[in-house]
Amino acid sequence: MLSLPELGLIFSACLFFVGMFGIMFRKNLIMMMLAVEIMLNAANLAFISASKITNTIDGQVVVFFVIAVAACEAAIGLAMVISLYRAKASIEADDLKLLRG
Amino acid sequence: MSPFEIQFAATILKVVFCLVLSLHVPALMVWIERRQCAMIQRRVGPNRVGFFQFRLMGLGQSLADVIKLLFKEDTPPAAAHKFYYWLGPIITAGIGLSAFAIIPFGNFVLVAGEQIQLQGINLNAGFLYLLAISSLGVYGITLAGWASNSKYTLLGGMRASAQMISYEIAMGISLIPIVFIYGTLDLNTIVQAQTGYMFGVIPAWGIFKAPVSFVIFLITMYAETNRLPFDLAESESELVAGFHTEHGSMRFALFFLGEYVMMFVLAAFVATLFFGGYEIPYFPQTEMVAQLTPMLGQSMALWAAAIIGFHVLIVKIGFFMLLYVQVRWTFPRFRYDQLMKVGWVYLIPISLINVAVSAIIFAIIKSI
Amino acid sequence: MDLTTLSFLILGCLTVILSVTLITRRSPVAAAVSLVGAFVCLAAMYGLLEAHFAAVIQIIVYAGAIMVVFVFVIMLLNLPPEELRFGRLTPGEGLIALVGVIAAVALTTKVTDGALQVVSSNLPSGIARPPYYADSENLKNVAALLFTDYLWAFEVVSFLILVAIIGAIVIAKKRGRHVKPS
Repeated sequence: MLSLPELGLIFSACLFFVGMFGIMFRKNLIMMMLAVEIMLNAANLAFISASKITNTIDGQVVVFFVIAVAACEAAIGLAMVISLYRAKASIEADDLKLLRG
Repeated sequence: MSPFEIQFAATILKVVFCLVLSLHVPALMVWIERRQCAMIQRRVGPNRVGFFQFRLMGLGQSLADVIKLLFKEDTPPAAAHKFYYWLGPIITAGIGLSAFAIIPFGNFVLVAGEQIQLQGINLNAGFLYLLAISSLGVYGITLAGWASNSKYTLLGGMRASAQMISYEIAMGISLIPIVFIYGTLDLNTIVQAQTGYMFGVIPAWGIFKAPVSFVIFLITMYAETNRLPFDLAESESELVAGFHTEHGSMRFALFFLGEYVMMFVLAAFVATLFFGGYEIPYFPQTEMVAQLTPMLGQSMALWAAAIIGFHVLIVKIGFFMLLYVQVRWTFPRFRYDQLMKVGWVYLIPISLINVAVSAIIFAIIKSI
Repeated sequence: MDLTTLSFLILGCLTVILSVTLITRRSPVAAAVSLVGAFVCLAAMYGLLEAHFAAVIQIIVYAGAIMVVFVFVIMLLNLPPEELRFGRLTPGEGLIALVGVIAAVALTTKVTDGALQVVSSNLPSGIARPPYYADSENLKNVAALLFTDYLWAFEVVSFLILVAIIGAIVIAKKRGRHVKPS
């Protein structure tokens, strides 16, 4: 059987692609943001698995920063979603095409 | 039995013990609350319901309440979102019940040569687990408020969860000086470090070393459990019953249970972090064991000391639970904007300044 | 297979199932709640990989703060459930999906001696470098590294959080008193 961190890398890859499919196939902006969060968590899992394999702690420190940056991105993204909803009453990605010719 | 098996069985027993203890608390607190509020309001309170012709000062009232709530008809609103309506009370009660496990209620006992720490589980993350628990507890209220599909409950749920997440910040920041002082997050180590003396006379309790932290934690403790003076979200006069309006019978009992158990856990935290936990002030456990060993032998002396320590902890927790009830029936409640102002404009800056000052003082003390 | 590996496998599969649930739900609240469940499972996995600090921070920050903001926005905006089109993919999207799966397998495995193995031997097995307390808790080591080697990044990230707070408030404010509600 594979060791724990190797299993972690496999799960990380699966989660990353689940998140990617979520972004590709969903139109709702909030659903896309949730899928981005899944991708970030997949990256976190990969960092922590790598930190366990190489027996260093740097991976976990990077995870701390990734979580902090994800928080900022979620806050700003949701603020923009609220602003868009007020302006256009719709948050489907297909309806936001004001700049298209 | 191998050491691993002994520790495993001991862990399971300890966790079950914590669970059973937490479940007994709401039953007792209901009676205490009603009698004490009656005393404050100069009346008598429930004193008739007892068992088999014995009045028992009305202690049977809790049992009667539970039976009533169990048999009441459950009336979910037709337009409720079924899954979250069902999930809200479960999260609130379940999260609260799992929080007592990290509180140490004794030092250690010896079973078949194995040292068993009297702490349900010993996490590497220590008391950060409590912050995690209160973060997850927000979901119970939010989902319950939204799932009932009604204006009052949504408003009450939003208000309650906004209040909880605001005061969570001040709670977390106010615990940082504790980490400076004790250098660890493990609660058992913190209790053991409170057995000395400051200036030779005063017991080295956390409250004397981090008083501002204690005050801030006490205030945020009331806000986290939605108790007066911070209970706008569930107050009877404001929003019908807030987020649990549409949750009747056993669901309401589960919310009630979650609230009282959270009170119990937070009171236990205050007692552990700031008041010495299971240690008696001038008579530490090691001395107690040393004095009991000639009479009872080592193993029984440890058990006796553990039982005494547990009761000391319960006395300290009881003091803070009574304080909860006294504060509830004494103070008026905050208006919502006053509440948020206290949380963001007053408590967070004070706790940040507290961290800075504690760090400076600690650095100075360490370099002397 | 011992208990640790078994629980890691169960938690990992649960996480993947919850994230697939997340991207296939019509109602945003269901998606957010399943994401919270996925985060809690992930935190447990971090704990099994002995990254205790990351596990606790994941629950406190990710599951307990970020997702609460998501849930608030979803509930307050009262977003309607949307239509899914998983059954009606264009050929281009199907191709991308297939390429994605192949890439996932290719990124994580390699063929050695005719058998498929997970890529982990490319990673150097480093020595834990100072400051590192060998017999100490995970938190102490993370803190030691965070405040010595990564101090600059720490300060920059805290400034970033401040900017994000101000930005979120400014962006989400109602604009202009002169706009009449229609």
